[in-house]
Amino acid sequence: MTANTLVRSKLVCVALNDKSQLTALEGTFNQPPYNKPPTQPVLYYKPRNTWNVDGAEVEWAKDFDGSDAPAMAVGASLGVVIGQEACRVSQAEALNYVGGYTIVSDFSLPEESYFRPDIKGKCLDTSAPVGPEIVPADTIDNPDALTVTIRVNGEQKSAFALADMERSVAELISTISWIMTLQPGEIIAVGFAGDRVPVARGDRVEASIEGVGTLTNTLGGA
Amino acid sequence: MRHARIIFDGRELDVDIDTNDRITTSDGEVLEVSLGSDDITWLPPVKEPGTIFALGLNYADHATELAFEPPKEPLVFIKHANTLTGHKQVSYRPDNIDFQHYECELVAVIGKTGKNIRREDAMEYVAGYTVCNDFAIRDYLENYYRPNLRVKSRDSLLPMGPWIVDREDVPDVSNLRLTTEVNGKITQDGSTSDMIFDIPFLVEYLSKIMTLNPGDMIATGTPHGMVDMQPGDTVVCTIENICSLETRIVSEKEYYGDKY
Repeated sequence: MTANTLVRSKLVCVALNDKSQLTALEGTFNQPPYNKPPTQPVLYYKPRNTWNVDGAEVEWAKDFDGSDAPAMAVGASLGVVIGQEACRVSQAEALNYVGGYTIVSDFSLPEESYFRPDIKGKCLDTSAPVGPEIVPADTIDNPDALTVTIRVNGEQKSAFALADMERSVAELISTISWIMTLQPGEIIAVGFAGDRVPVARGDRVEASIEGVGTLTNTLGGA
Repeated sequence: MRHARIIFDGRELDVDIDTNDRITTSDGEVLEVSLGSDDITWLPPVKEPGTIFALGLNYADHATELAFEPPKEPLVFIKHANTLTGHKQVSYRPDNIDFQHYECELVAVIGKTGKNIRREDAMEYVAGYTVCNDFAIRDYLENYYRPNLRVKSRDSLLPMGPWIVDREDVPDVSNLRLTTEVNGKITQDGSTSDMIFDIPFLVEYLSKIMTLNPGDMIATGTPHGMVDMQPGDTVVCTIENICSLETRIVSEKEYYGDKY
């Protein structure tokens, strides 16, 4: 955990929120162990040891035997920063609880299964850079109209239009606030492109959203 | 020594409790109150809660009860401080559900930063132990990152405490009786000796994935014996030589009040 992280107390991420990914996996999700597609947002936490900042290095993951993990991947999301306590808020009023927006990069082992919490894949030290800053909520007209791009070593690898999310920003804030009371400074990463981008040691990763900024990080282990 | 956080006389206090049940504040003031007094409001005992790791299916008999094979690798999920509440506080039952059950669990509280900790050194990183009740709403289970946050991350559904017992005051943490009483009747009766993955294993396992920090907690799972909870029920989770944690169940409406 870096002392100057932009995250306060909690970083909630939403998986499987790309409509095309859900369509592509529909067959898989009707088989065991899933048996049916998700009916609710699929959520996971990036705990405090993962929180990192713009410009910092992201550690290359290690296997349990101490050798370098064979592969890592990155996804990027709009980060919705809660501005005031949100407890059981409606979808209609949800955006009133947003204090600002930022970018969350989620470095992890490649996503292979969604059945059990992916602690080994997602909870790696320094794997959740957040930044470069928090822009005030009123500078973004419609968060669902934004596009998140990822460039690796200068080459664009992914562009995800948030209009293609299964669930909107407002719906997610509302649904999550009915599970847990959200506090100011807590951040929700609302959706990632279904195709995570493979990365290699030493890669420079830039996650960008127009009007929010560019979050730049470099993979370690080179 | 035992350590707790309480509200007493309008003051929020960090206190030590000695073997004679004498309560002393961090300023050395001895409080003229008995441990059982209703004048004490018990807060969750970890002052700056970090990441809460919880174990699923970590007792073989409970795994069988849920019709799962005992796992070959720990099933770990994460919780945050919004779920915490203290001893003699309330937890809520959501409206329109069929099955909410308690889970009495031994909690190891991390006291020192570490990564890649070896099993034989693991206990040096444990400051002490407490008890938690890791409630679950089975109606909300889905097969995605199961047990999912809707089941396990709800406000108030992780009572903890009343206190932390220093590690060195618990000679053998791997052989403690664990019981739960609902409205005075024993409904769960097990032993920490039946844990599949013990605390040294879990500290080693988690610290191979990530850095553990002071204030992180590992809730080590529960044995079999689950019953449904209803508003008005009182549930007491006890682990021998650690503490007894009492919780009253209220309705969702009563819990959220004006925000309902």
